[in-house]
Amino acid sequence: MRVEYINPFVEAAFNVLKEVLNADVRRGELYLKSTTMPVLGVAALVGLAGDVEGRVLFDMSKQTALDVASAMNGETLSSLDELGKATITELANMITAQAVTKLHDLGFKFDLTPPALFTGDNMEVSDHEVEALIVPMEVPQGKIEINVAVRERA
Amino acid sequence: MKTKQDFPSINERDPDGKKPDGGSYRVLVVDDSMFVAKQIGQILTSEGYEVAATAADGEIGVEKYKELFPNIDLVTMDITMPKMDGITALEHIINFDKNAKVVMISALGKQDLVKKSLLLGAKNYIVKPLDRKKVLERISQVLAKG
Amino acid sequence: MQTNDIQVNENQSEVQNDEQKERVAHIDFKMVTFSLSGKDYGVDIMNVKEIAKAGKFTYVPNAAPYLRGVYNLRGDIIPIVDLRVFFHLPAERKQNDALENMLILRLEDHVFGIIVDHIDKVVGIASTSIQPPHPIFGDINIKYIRGVVENQSRLYIILDVLRIFAQKEEEKPRVMSETPSGAYYRTTSLSAQSAEQEKSYPDTASGSEMEFIKETLFAIKRFSATEINEDWMARRFEEWKKIRAKGDLQLKNAEEADEYLSDFYSPYSDKFWGDEYAEAIQAYLPDFPSKNINVWNPGCGKGYETFSFACILQRRYPESRIKIWANDSDLLAISSAPNLFFDIETVPEYCREFLVQGRNGYSFNQLIKDSVLFEYHDIQNANPFPELDIVLARDILSFLAPVEQARVFGDFSEKLKASGIIFLGRNETLRGEDWKSVGQDPVSAYMRNDQ
Repeated sequence: MRVEYINPFVEAAFNVLKEVLNADVRRGELYLKSTTMPVLGVAALVGLAGDVEGRVLFDMSKQTALDVASAMNGETLSSLDELGKATITELANMITAQAVTKLHDLGFKFDLTPPALFTGDNMEVSDHEVEALIVPMEVPQGKIEINVAVRERA
Repeated sequence: MKTKQDFPSINERDPDGKKPDGGSYRVLVVDDSMFVAKQIGQILTSEGYEVAATAADGEIGVEKYKELFPNIDLVTMDITMPKMDGITALEHIINFDKNAKVVMISALGKQDLVKKSLLLGAKNYIVKPLDRKKVLERISQVLAKG
Repeated sequence: MQTNDIQVNENQSEVQNDEQKERVAHIDFKMVTFSLSGKDYGVDIMNVKEIAKAGKFTYVPNAAPYLRGVYNLRGDIIPIVDLRVFFHLPAERKQNDALENMLILRLEDHVFGIIVDHIDKVVGIASTSIQPPHPIFGDINIKYIRGVVENQSRLYIILDVLRIFAQKEEEKPRVMSETPSGAYYRTTSLSAQSAEQEKSYPDTASGSEMEFIKETLFAIKRFSATEINEDWMARRFEEWKKIRAKGDLQLKNAEEADEYLSDFYSPYSDKFWGDEYAEAIQAYLPDFPSKNINVWNPGCGKGYETFSFACILQRRYPESRIKIWANDSDLLAISSAPNLFFDIETVPEYCREFLVQGRNGYSFNQLIKDSVLFEYHDIQNANPFPELDIVLARDILSFLAPVEQARVFGDFSEKLKASGIIFLGRNETLRGEDWKSVGQDPVSAYMRNDQ
C-alpha cells in the first residue's frame, strides 16, 4: 500500500473512534496480510474508487459490534438489529470518509461507495489475493481490525 | 446520546426549535442511515424542533419536500446515498424552491464538496461525527437568517 | 460448505474368518477411505483434519494444473490439490459451483486439501496387513503409494500424503514460469539442505563447518546460502578460515554473523550511491524501445537507493517517462522515504540538479517524486506489478528463504520484458544459460540470453 495512504487511515480511525466512543483508544502495530478475508464475525465494508481501487473492511466480533453500537446509541441494544447494523455501518463510513478527506488534502483523489455490513451468516468469500494493511484498534468494547486493501489504478 | 436534560442552561425556557408563534420549526431529514437519522432526530427534538419526515435516499427526499411544501422550514441532507446522492437532491430542491434552506450533513469534509454544495445553494455544511452543540448552532443560524 | 465430523465405522461384528479375526484384534492403523476413478484409496486418519464439501475455489494463475486453487477454511487460506488431476486419472469435472468432496489434510504445519470422487468411511486395520506397493495395484506413480491392504473384500491403496505434499511444494516454482529461467530456480526451489545433498559435499570437517555457518547465518540474519551467492560463500569461507585460524570457525552470536556477512553487501547500502558507482550503473543501462520505463525496486529501505537510481534514470533517459515501484516490508524505514530532506553536502553531484530547497532543507523535485511510488509491501505476497524494464534488487534475494527466493525470482523473470535488465547485489550471481551477465564488479547485472 502506498506509504502516503497509511497515516490518513490510522489517524481517521483513531479520531473517529475516540470521538464517538468517548473512551480510550489504542492502536496496535500495523502489519500486512496476504489475504483480505474478514475473520472476527462482523465486517463492515466500504468501497474505494478514484485514483485507486479497493476497499476498507472493519472487522470485529459480534459482541464488540453490539457493544460499540450500544455505546454510540446511548442505550443497550440486546441484539444487532437494523439500528445496530446501521450504527456499525455508519462508523465504518465516518472513518473511511475522514481518511478520504485527509487524502484529498494530500492530493489523492479517492471516492467511497456506500458501506455494507456482513455477518457470519452472509460473509462473502473474497475472490482476490490482494495484500491488505491491518490497523488493529483497541477500544473498551474490544478489538476492531481495520483492513485496507487498495491498489493504484493502472 | 445526550438530551436537552443534560444541558439545562441551554434554552430551557426558549428552545431554538420553537417558532415565535409557538409552533415548532419543521425539519425534513434526508439520510440513508437509520442511525444518523435517529441521531439527528434526537438532537432536533431535544431542542424543540419537529421532524416532519425522514427520507432514506435523495429521490424520496425531493418528493417529500415537494409534497410537504411550504411546510418544511429546513432540510438536513446527507451526501452519500444510493439512488440519488445529496448534491443532486439539493439541486432539485433548490430548483423547485429557491428559498429552500438545506444544510448538508456528511462524513466527507472534502473542500470541493463543501464549495460545490454551497454554490448550489446549501446554507451550511456539517461534518460527521455530529457534535450536538455545533449542529444546533448551525441550524439556528440558518433559520435566523429568515 | 459442509463440514462433517468423521464417522468411525468399525464393523468388527462382520468378521469373516479366523485370519481376519486375528487381525481385527490388532487394529493399530485407521484410514479414511475414498474413491478415485472407481478405485479405493485410503489416507492415515492422523493426517486427516476434516472432511468438507465445497464448490468455490479461488483460482491461482500460473500454478500447476492439479492445483485447483485455494480455499478459505474458516479464515485460513489453504491450497487444494485435485487428486484426480495429480494422478492423471479421468475426472468428471463438475459444474463450476457444484460441490466437490474434499479431505483436508494436515502434515505438521502444512494444511492442504485434496479433491476426490467420493469419500467412504473410516476403516481400521492392522498395520501388519499392509502390503508393500506393487505397480500392478495402481494407475498412479508407485512413489505416492505407502502400501496396499485388503479389507472386507475391498482393496485399498494407501497414499503417502507427505510425498504428495512435498511434490506439490517442489513443483510449484517450476510450473510457475513458462520462461527459460525455469532451470535456474528449479534447483534453488529445493530447500538449502537437499540442495547441499545434491552437490554431494566432501565428507570433511570443512564441509560440515560450512554447513553450520550457513545454518547460523540463516537463523540469525535470515541469509540463505544458495546458488545465487555460492561463489561469494566459498570465497568468504576460505577467508574466514584464515581470519579464524587460531580459533573457532563457528558464528556464535549476531556480532560474529555480522562480521562474516560484512563482506557481502553491495556498495552504498542504505545510502546515496557515490558518483563513481552511479556512473558504473549508468554505463550498463541499455536502450529501451518504449518511452515508458517501468522499474521494480523491492527492499528499497529508506529510499536512498531508489532516489539515486531515479536520478540516474532521468539523466540516462531524459525523454522517457520513468515509473519506479519501490517497496519494503519495514514500515518504519519506508514511511519516511517519500518526504526525505537532506543537507546539500550529503547529496552526490549527479542528484543535485533534481533538488529543490525548502524550509526543512533540500528535497527532491516533483519530477523525481512523481517518478517513484513508495509502498509498504511484502514481496512474499502477490506482486501486482506490470511488465518491467528494470528490476533493482540488490542483496534482496539472499535474505529470503530458499523457496521464497525461487518464488520472488520467478516473479522477476516473469515480469521482466525481453529487453529488460536485472540488477542484483554485488555478490549475487545468476547461473545457467538463460541469463547473460552484462555487468562487472561492483555491478552485478543480467539480461535474458536469447541466443
